[in-house]
Amino acid sequence: MNEHGLILQNAPHVRTSESLFTVMGDMIVAMAPLYVIAWFYYGPRALLLGLTGAATAWVLDMLSVLACGRRPDLRDLSAVVTGLLIPLLMPASIPYYVVVTACIVAILAVKFPFGGTGNNLFNPAAVGFAFTAICWPELVFSYPAPMQELAVAGEVAAKTAVSPAHNLMLGAIPSLDLFDMILGNAAGPMGATNILVILACGLYLLVRRTIGWRAPLSFLLVSGLMAMMWPRSPFGTFSSVGWELCSGMLLFGVVFMITEPVTSPKRGFAKVLYGATSGAVVMLFRYFGGFEDGFVFALILMNVFAPLFDRVCENVLHKIRHGTLLPKNFAPGAENPPKEKKKLPKPSLKKKTETEVGA
Amino acid sequence: MSFFVPGIVLEQRKEPMLSRDMVMMKPDSLRTFQNPFEEILPQELRPEEITEVARLADIIDESDGRSLYEELIEADKRGVDAVIADAIDDEPFISSQLNIALHEPEKIALALELCAKAVHADLSKIYVAVYRHVFDITIRIPKKLAGVEVMRFGGRYPAETRAYNKFRKEKNTLTVGTGALLHLVRAAERGISQTSCFVTVAGDAIANPRNVEVPVGTPVSEMLRFCGLAADPETVIVGGSMTGRSISDPEEEKVGVMTRGVLAFRESYKSLGYICIGCGRCDHACPEGLSASQLRRFAEFGRRDLLELYDVDRCIGCGSCSYVCPSRLDIGTTIFAAKRSLAAEKALAEKGGAAE
Repeated sequence: MNEHGLILQNAPHVRTSESLFTVMGDMIVAMAPLYVIAWFYYGPRALLLGLTGAATAWVLDMLSVLACGRRPDLRDLSAVVTGLLIPLLMPASIPYYVVVTACIVAILAVKFPFGGTGNNLFNPAAVGFAFTAICWPELVFSYPAPMQELAVAGEVAAKTAVSPAHNLMLGAIPSLDLFDMILGNAAGPMGATNILVILACGLYLLVRRTIGWRAPLSFLLVSGLMAMMWPRSPFGTFSSVGWELCSGMLLFGVVFMITEPVTSPKRGFAKVLYGATSGAVVMLFRYFGGFEDGFVFALILMNVFAPLFDRVCENVLHKIRHGTLLPKNFAPGAENPPKEKKKLPKPSLKKKTETEVGA
Repeated sequence: MSFFVPGIVLEQRKEPMLSRDMVMMKPDSLRTFQNPFEEILPQELRPEEITEVARLADIIDESDGRSLYEELIEADKRGVDAVIADAIDDEPFISSQLNIALHEPEKIALALELCAKAVHADLSKIYVAVYRHVFDITIRIPKKLAGVEVMRFGGRYPAETRAYNKFRKEKNTLTVGTGALLHLVRAAERGISQTSCFVTVAGDAIANPRNVEVPVGTPVSEMLRFCGLAADPETVIVGGSMTGRSISDPEEEKVGVMTRGVLAFRESYKSLGYICIGCGRCDHACPEGLSASQLRRFAEFGRRDLLELYDVDRCIGCGSCSYVCPSRLDIGTTIFAAKRSLAAEKALAEKGGAAE
């Protein structure tokens, strides 16, 4: 503020009322219904897992910001989003230390070394989950049957059930009804089974423009197409599409993880490309991978290519902007090149025939 | 809609200014010039006499800052199909051009006819171009203003550039701001030369927001006092709310011919101290289809080669990218500064090459 009581600022002088706080707040709001449903199916343990994850991630993020010598910003909720995402990918019976480990890896190994919020190369939640999936596969991929209250603390003695994703991996037909599956009454990751709720959350985020529609749409199109063409279990093409899209963490990942702003490409077409290739890789992991769901691994793999997609897209756009995408001969009215083109191959053909005849 | 179309939706907030007439701040400041065609009615002026009137009255077109006389001569040389009055005020609050078109339509119609005559264009092909936006439900713009057809431009924020591109692409047109047209009529009718400009005084710190005609060179503080301050402003802006600049001393800052707005806001937008998270909203908002997020990064790191690959020279400086940024980064100003310095460097290199 200067001596006239005025503040100098850069144009534009009106700004949108949205901020990172509202963007991240939207994500948290969208995840809240998933926690409520998980609470309904598995009891209060689901909420406590979420709280553990969010608190661990947030505290670690603040500490790492301090370690960088910057002032921590209480409005930065991105770590909370990471911490809330991780338990939703896991079964409700998961021990608390697994969630804490995943959060530690997500923040201290993926976010902090690269410079904190906005600079990470990989989706922190995805890497955190992948780490625990490698360390404790038997814990991370064994799901309790829904509609049973799990013990809040101590050893969890839960009746486990086979998840539809595991059934599909074995080439069997899941014993469930697809309708139950859509309502979330199926064994699986805590927040990823409630298809209807996830779709509603996705719609909310789309309308709020917190997530884009390009990557999710192309992802679903490609993975759906692959499921249609190569069904893993012996049933009809359309039920194959339904089962593949609804099982595992595919739909949850499409709404909450592939749309993550930091690690996804920025350009519209690059986003389409990113979504499509991720969809293909996820399905390939399902066909040939060792785990029952490879979404997280596919996402980490495709994060590597996100900047590349952007650059390829930009190169093409640069050529389009300058009108040099097509070679000059294609331009209409450019010295009538088609005639020259036709003339060129003819003599060579004749020569060939002549030599052949001569020979 | 918003999922597919680039650009940003801005609330226009022009209603209080548009519903009132333009008010003259210092009515006795008008100056007359020696008009050799005083006896002739404006409608009966011959083409070269009209250009002469524009020259004698020192009229400057406020939409591009060029002299109207030069514009008329140049347009006459290249031959013009249509004459368009520019009343496209696409920035929020700013309504000085549209106000003239709505409240003095007869004069604008007469001035358009004079211009068309001066450049030997078809007298029936005159238009008034306005920006009409979904948010302006309360503002009624008729289909014809004093018999002149109104060209409407809808859609998202940078409408002025879009409209000018369209004029340039479709046909040979002459575009004159409505302020200059009003001055032309005054000069032809009463021999008054241009000593004033039309400015919107608005913002939430202004008690009585309206469009004011002020003599060129009036200090900004005087205008703020004229319209009354409802509160102590934290920022005062000369120009539009999207592209204007904030000033440090309202006493020192004078109004120029091209000034279209003076805005006073109670609060400045607060810088949040966030960093870019790469959400890509700026990329989607850019009306030119540039990758604003990457350009900002390259501008900060001084990557000239990449700035050129990403076509920094196509930036029009509209500020859409900064507007949508949830981190409130100054994306637009950074990119525009990089564009200017790159252009300056290039010009210098060419000059040096020529000297050698």
